[in-house]
This record gives sequence, structure tokens and C-alpha cells, in this order.
Amino acid sequence: MAELLQLPFMQRALLAGLVLGLLLSHLGIFVTLRRMAFFSDGIAHAALAGAAIGLLLHRDPLHTALIFSALLAVVIFFLEKRSRLPIDSIIGIMFTSSMALGVVLISLRQGYQPELIGYLFGNILAIRVPDLMLIVVLGTAILAFLFLQRRKLTLLALDREMAAMAGVNPGRYELLLYVMLACALVLGIRVLGIVLVSAILIIPVSTARLLSRSFRALTRWTVLIAECTVLAGIFLSYFLDLPTGAVIVLTGSVLFVLAFLASSLRRP
Amino acid sequence: MAPVLEVKDLSVRFAGVAALEHVSFTIEKEAIIAVIGPNGSGKTTLLKAILGLVPCQGQVRLYSRPVRQMLPQLGYVPQHFAFDSTFPLTVEEFIALTCRTPERLPVHGILAEVGMNAFKGKLIGELSGGQLQRVLLAHALLHRPRILFLDEATSGIDIEGQGDFYATIQRLNREHGVTVMMVSHEISMVYRFTDRIICLNRDLISHGETRSTLTAEVLKKLYGENAGFTVHGHEAVLPRSEAARAGSGRGHG
Repeated sequence: MAELLQLPFMQRALLAGLVLGLLLSHLGIFVTLRRMAFFSDGIAHAALAGAAIGLLLHRDPLHTALIFSALLAVVIFFLEKRSRLPIDSIIGIMFTSSMALGVVLISLRQGYQPELIGYLFGNILAIRVPDLMLIVVLGTAILAFLFLQRRKLTLLALDREMAAMAGVNPGRYELLLYVMLACALVLGIRVLGIVLVSAILIIPVSTARLLSRSFRALTRWTVLIAECTVLAGIFLSYFLDLPTGAVIVLTGSVLFVLAFLASSLRRP
Repeated sequence: MAPVLEVKDLSVRFAGVAALEHVSFTIEKEAIIAVIGPNGSGKTTLLKAILGLVPCQGQVRLYSRPVRQMLPQLGYVPQHFAFDSTFPLTVEEFIALTCRTPERLPVHGILAEVGMNAFKGKLIGELSGGQLQRVLLAHALLHRPRILFLDEATSGIDIEGQGDFYATIQRLNREHGVTVMMVSHEISMVYRFTDRIICLNRDLISHGETRSTLTAEVLKKLYGENAGFTVHGHEAVLPRSEAARAGSGRGHG
């Protein structure tokens, strides 16, 4: 184990995993309260087009995916406000259109593209120092915003009118939450992949809900479960020689089942 | 004395359809005012337009200032609180959400004021309808508002619970001088607990002192010939449908 922790790629993966676990699980509290699971999944999948643009233009796919997903979040926000379409229809259109664009752009490149598989399913070996720097800096900035504005964000997620009466600008905070969620999801793609990244938003907080009797307890359980899930998943995937993203998600699922059984037994 | 609330020529349209037309009135300090009218008459829209929650035309001044500048001075209890009832949030935590300095939060005092101190550790999703309305009232009272807006705050509560709720409002008005503007369907409660009344049916039908304004003629004009209201002495008798609805409430706290 000590030898394993000496490996630079493992150090980068663990640090990235810890920051992402904290960030995504925290965002997951607002995502589940506002019922935005489909938004998260849609944005994560749409990031494929952003990554494909980077691959085609020989730019860092993580950077282009970040810009693309943030812009897409802004477009979804304005379409939600300006059109009479339900939000899930808007996300459905944007998500599938972006995926289609991603597939077309990728098809323009010749030959096998191993890098693309890493973006789809996550690749622990693919976390380079610049990626780690981006994850830590941007992730810390988003976490600081969530911490400083948690009261307003929670009130907004509970009731929009009540938040407005408490002096919160609902439109501004919703837009910020959309953009930050999009950025956090793209940061998570390096470890968990486009297909699985939204799991770390949903599973830890859902597990924590089964164990919590207050918002304070929910926040603590969510973070603890997310960090345990990510760390256990990274180590298990290394020792079992299995894909990291998938093992992290399965670890989270096992914890959810255990919490469900425990809460069912505790309930009279 | 300058009025607390001044509404001038207020109109609201939703997708080109008038929800409220050219409504004007003023509210004096420390009054309890009810807004009544049939379904779709614009009662909730009037309240939301005053609070700046829906776009409107006309002028609304609270203490001679735009309402957005006076938000800390007002409290609001909504008709519906569409929260996720499975979300683990205690009553105490919910109250603390609107406090800018939670460490100096007078949670105990506020909850005691509405008779809910014993429930501060309970989850808001586990409260009865009446208990939830009291918590929402405590939430609205947190910053000691000078004016309180209630939007059908007792819908879904049984008659006894309604009486308790209105008695709390009346006590706040008398002891703390809080001006209250409430939208209500409970004509008998309005008759018992309010000083002034605004009768609305998209435009202003009449307004003034409750007992003199709430005549059988005005009630018929609002609710139709077969509404079944009668007014005598200090009572306004409920129409049969409203009595049935109030009696089938979720209970009270």
C-alpha cells in the first residue's frame, strides 16, 4: 500500500478524487433537492461535443469541454426562461443534439482514438499535472461559492418565491448554479467519464438521505460517503485491475443498498 | 398620517389576459385587511404584484418607497410551499435559512410566539398542515416585519386550527403593531378577525371597514346569487361548500 501511494499517477488520482468527491457530492445536495438529475446527466453527455472539438482542433479536450458545457448551461437557462417548453424537453433537445455533434466531429478524425474512450468511461492514468491543477483550483473556487452561498442556494432550492422575498435574486443564482454544475461535471469526467460522472452527484446524497434526520447530518453523511466511495473505488479498481469510474460507481451503489437495508430495519 | 401601503392603478396581464385591472387602494398602519373574491378574481395575483413576484403595471409604494427596498420590513406566508417533503430539514434549520446571522438567531422566541417551540427538532416534511403554516408564519416573522402578507395561509386547516391561526395574527397585530394583509376564502374568519376588507373580482368591487362593507349584497355580487352567505350580528355564515372544505382539513397544530 505504501508503495502504491508513492506512485505519482496514484497521488494525482487520489487528490483529484478527493476534491471531486467533495465538490460533486456537495452539488448533489442541490441537484436532488431541485430535481436536476436529468440536467446533470444531459450536461455530462453533451460534454462529448466539447471534448471532440478539442481533439479536432488539437486543444486540451478538458478545456474545450468546460467552455462548451458552461455555454450549454447558459443556453438551457435562457431557453427555460424564454420558451414555454418544459425544462426536461429543453435538456433532452440540447443533450441529444450535442451528443450527435460530438459523434459527427469524432467521425471526422481518422483511426482509433483511445483518448476518447478515456473521456467516455474515465481514466485514472489520464490525470496529468495540468488537469489536477485545474480540478483543484476550479473545484476549490466552486466549493467556496457553495459554502458562502449555501443558505441562499438551499432556500432557492426549497421555494423560489420565498428565496426572492428573502432578498435572493433567483435568476442570478440559478444561472450561477447551472454554470458551476456544468463545470464541476466536466472536471469529474477525467476520473469517472461522461457516462458515469453524474452518479457521484446522485448516489452519495441519496444514501445520506436514508441515514439523516437533519440538513446538517445530511451534509456530513453526503461528504463522508462520497469520499469513502471515491477512495475505495480507486484502490479497488487498482487491485482488481478494473475500470476506475465503473468501480467507484459500483462502490457507491453497494453503500446505497447497505444504507437502504439499515434504514429499513431501523424503521418500525 | 401617510398610508403604509399605497397601490395605484395596478394591472397584471398573463399572456395578454387581464388578471387584475386598474386596482387602487391604500392601507393604514396596524390594520388587518382581508382580500376576498371568487376563484380567479386576482387575489393571489394582487399580493404577488405588490410583492414584486409577478410583473405588473401601476405603482406600489410601501412606507412611501418601492417594495424591493423594503423587503426586510415585510413578511410573507405563501399559499403553497411546494418543497420536497422527504428532504431532511428540521424546523429550526428551516427558520435559520433566512437569517443573515444565524448564530444570533432568535429561533426559540419566534417559534414560541407561534406555539411551535416543542417542534423545533422535527422535520418539516413530518408536520401537519396547521403546524407547517405556523412554521411558515414563524419564518415570516423572523426579522420582525412591520407588515405581514398572508396568501390563503389557512387553506387545508380545519376550523379550529383556522381560529387559532387567526387569533395568533390578531395578537401579533395588537401586541406588536404588525399591519396584516391577507388573502382569504374563509368569510366567517374574515368577518371576525379583520378591520378592513378589499373585495376583488379582477377589478375592485368595493373596499372599506369590514362589517359595513361585507354586506349580503356585496357577497352576492362576488359569489353569485346562490353563494349561500348570510350576514347577521357578528357572524357571516359559511356557504355549504366552504364549510365542507374547511371541515376536511389536514388537522392543525
